[in-house]
Amino acid sequence: MTQFQEQFEALLNYWPDEDSTLRQLRIKAFNKFKDLGLPSKKWEDWQFTDFSSLEKTDYRLPWADSLPTLPSIIPGRIPNTHLILMFNGHYQPQLSDIPKGVTISTGFDHFKSNPDLYAINGDLNPFFALNTSMMNLGISIIIDANNIIEKPIQVIYVMTNLSDPLMNHPRFIFQVGKNAEATIVEHYSGSSDTSYFINPVTQVILETNAVLNHIRIQEESSTASHTASTHYTIGREGRLNSVSVSSGSKLFRHDVKLAFKSKGGYASLNGLSLTEKDQHHDQHVLLEHASDVCQSHQLFKYILSDKSSGVFNGKVIVREKTKQTDADQSNKNLLLSPTALMNSNPQLEIYAEDVKCTHGSTTGQIDPEALFYLRTRGIGIHKAMELIIGGFSKDIIDKINNEDVKSYINKKVTDWLEGAVQHG
Amino acid sequence: MLEIKNLHAGVNGKEILKGINLSVKPGELHAIMGRNGSGKSTLANVITGRDNHEVTSGSVTYNGADLLDMTPEDRALRGIFMSFQYPVVIPGVNNTYFLRAALNSKLKHNGLKEINVADFMRLIREKLKLVNMDEKYLSRAVNDGFSGGEKKRNEILQMLTLEPELSILDETDSGLDIDALKIVAEGVNNFRNSSRSFVAITHYQRLLDHMKPDFIHALIDGKIVKSGGINLAHKLEEKGYSWLEA
Repeated sequence: MTQFQEQFEALLNYWPDEDSTLRQLRIKAFNKFKDLGLPSKKWEDWQFTDFSSLEKTDYRLPWADSLPTLPSIIPGRIPNTHLILMFNGHYQPQLSDIPKGVTISTGFDHFKSNPDLYAINGDLNPFFALNTSMMNLGISIIIDANNIIEKPIQVIYVMTNLSDPLMNHPRFIFQVGKNAEATIVEHYSGSSDTSYFINPVTQVILETNAVLNHIRIQEESSTASHTASTHYTIGREGRLNSVSVSSGSKLFRHDVKLAFKSKGGYASLNGLSLTEKDQHHDQHVLLEHASDVCQSHQLFKYILSDKSSGVFNGKVIVREKTKQTDADQSNKNLLLSPTALMNSNPQLEIYAEDVKCTHGSTTGQIDPEALFYLRTRGIGIHKAMELIIGGFSKDIIDKINNEDVKSYINKKVTDWLEGAVQHG
Repeated sequence: MLEIKNLHAGVNGKEILKGINLSVKPGELHAIMGRNGSGKSTLANVITGRDNHEVTSGSVTYNGADLLDMTPEDRALRGIFMSFQYPVVIPGVNNTYFLRAALNSKLKHNGLKEINVADFMRLIREKLKLVNMDEKYLSRAVNDGFSGGEKKRNEILQMLTLEPELSILDETDSGLDIDALKIVAEGVNNFRNSSRSFVAITHYQRLLDHMKPDFIHALIDGKIVKSGGINLAHKLEEKGYSWLEA
């Protein structure tokens, strides 16, 4: 805990002239973080994940001096997209390209006009509190009302060539105005032998009749720890399609919350997690239906090899008197090795009558019948495994609406599978 | 082509095949008939190399090479194909992609150039017509949402595309109505020539009525107890198997 205290004080000293409301919020949030502490195995929602490594490393915040030379090729760049680039925790406006109809604000201008959105209140997630206390980069992307942004906006957050262990607490706001439509790719990418810690909070707001495709890609270095919170708020008849593909980080925890604020909302939440070696991926989804005629569909899949492990915990709550709720949740997992481990816990809490809800979870290995079938057609065992595992992941990738983004993900998944099958 | 000598094999320590002898030469169609549990499918599985089958004695050679040491894919690449009794559903794997991967694997093994998408589409459309299948099956996942008859036709489609030397047809007639049965049998008949051989495993004579086998073998309790021509099939259909039991 001492390194967090030191870094927090250093941050207050670094920005002595910061807006006083923001400063008060930081102090409140840090006190909350200190009260809560890092999650322990005794906390029900955190019991399968060990966070003690975060305390064992002296992570420090990046200051202005820690920016290395920018690479000539931006890693993970997807063609035909607008770019918003952050490099080792620093926004790069000179390389970013902001389309018409989109307003970007940085440096916490957004906070000044929307302080309520940043309140920490009763949230019991210490990483959310930690982010709020030390948020060292704030970017808000506002899609102005009635605008349809044709090309996806790729928000790349790169960590590379670190000389010492850095931590970052970026804060993103993605707000899609009334009748507006956009695709935002939130992309974390890393290549560093030195360990680092990324703790982003992303708040996504869909206003009335807004449409958002939110693609989240997490391909941090295997030396990284990535703890993230994504909070979705869906307005009247807003439509969200979210696909999260995660293959990076030694330790990955993602808390997703979604609330429908008015009637007629639609949300499709999908996740694909690929783990190998001693990686651990832990995803929690808390989805609340408190408005009428809302639909939510969740599909989360994990493919685990070697000694890696995964956790999926999904809870759907349907509040009292909510009408015509349609909610389903499915978690399917494929274990590629006898030492891989998966904990799955889908839950429904229904306090209303007018609902259609289903949930389910399956964990298994590659179907030996399918493998034999492909081999009898002359397809070698490795290629056959790749086909079967690729087939398992296909329905998630198919939810991606944009062909360039889809082909980027397809390539990543195929490359990962080749590696996993060869050494697995 | 295929030589099986005194083959003893089983599953989980239980002996199912108790000394099979069978010789299949180029151009021949052999039918193996038998009741449930007689060992018909075990024989097909041993020839194609299914994992959990243990061979305790005897030999199976194919064009002189020991088949039992080979992986299932090696056997396939050398020209052996099996039409499955229960074709497997493989979610998310596109039928066309799968078929092209299989064909390319074979072309590559034979030192030939892989087939490109356009040429493959031309080829597969021709083959589809032969088994009276709609093009919509090409865009589906392998056997996913196929009826029993469609699955069997998809097996024959694969056979026609991969052009194996030896085809094992494991209960290809089961689950087929008369029209589908005719299509499947016709697909096989048109595919027959002097170098291609077939082993058809079946309960019933009805598939054989459409296929004209050269030899019929009656399998009882893991042994071929009688071999003969088509008359044997008629006799088995009429009298059952008990007259062959000692």
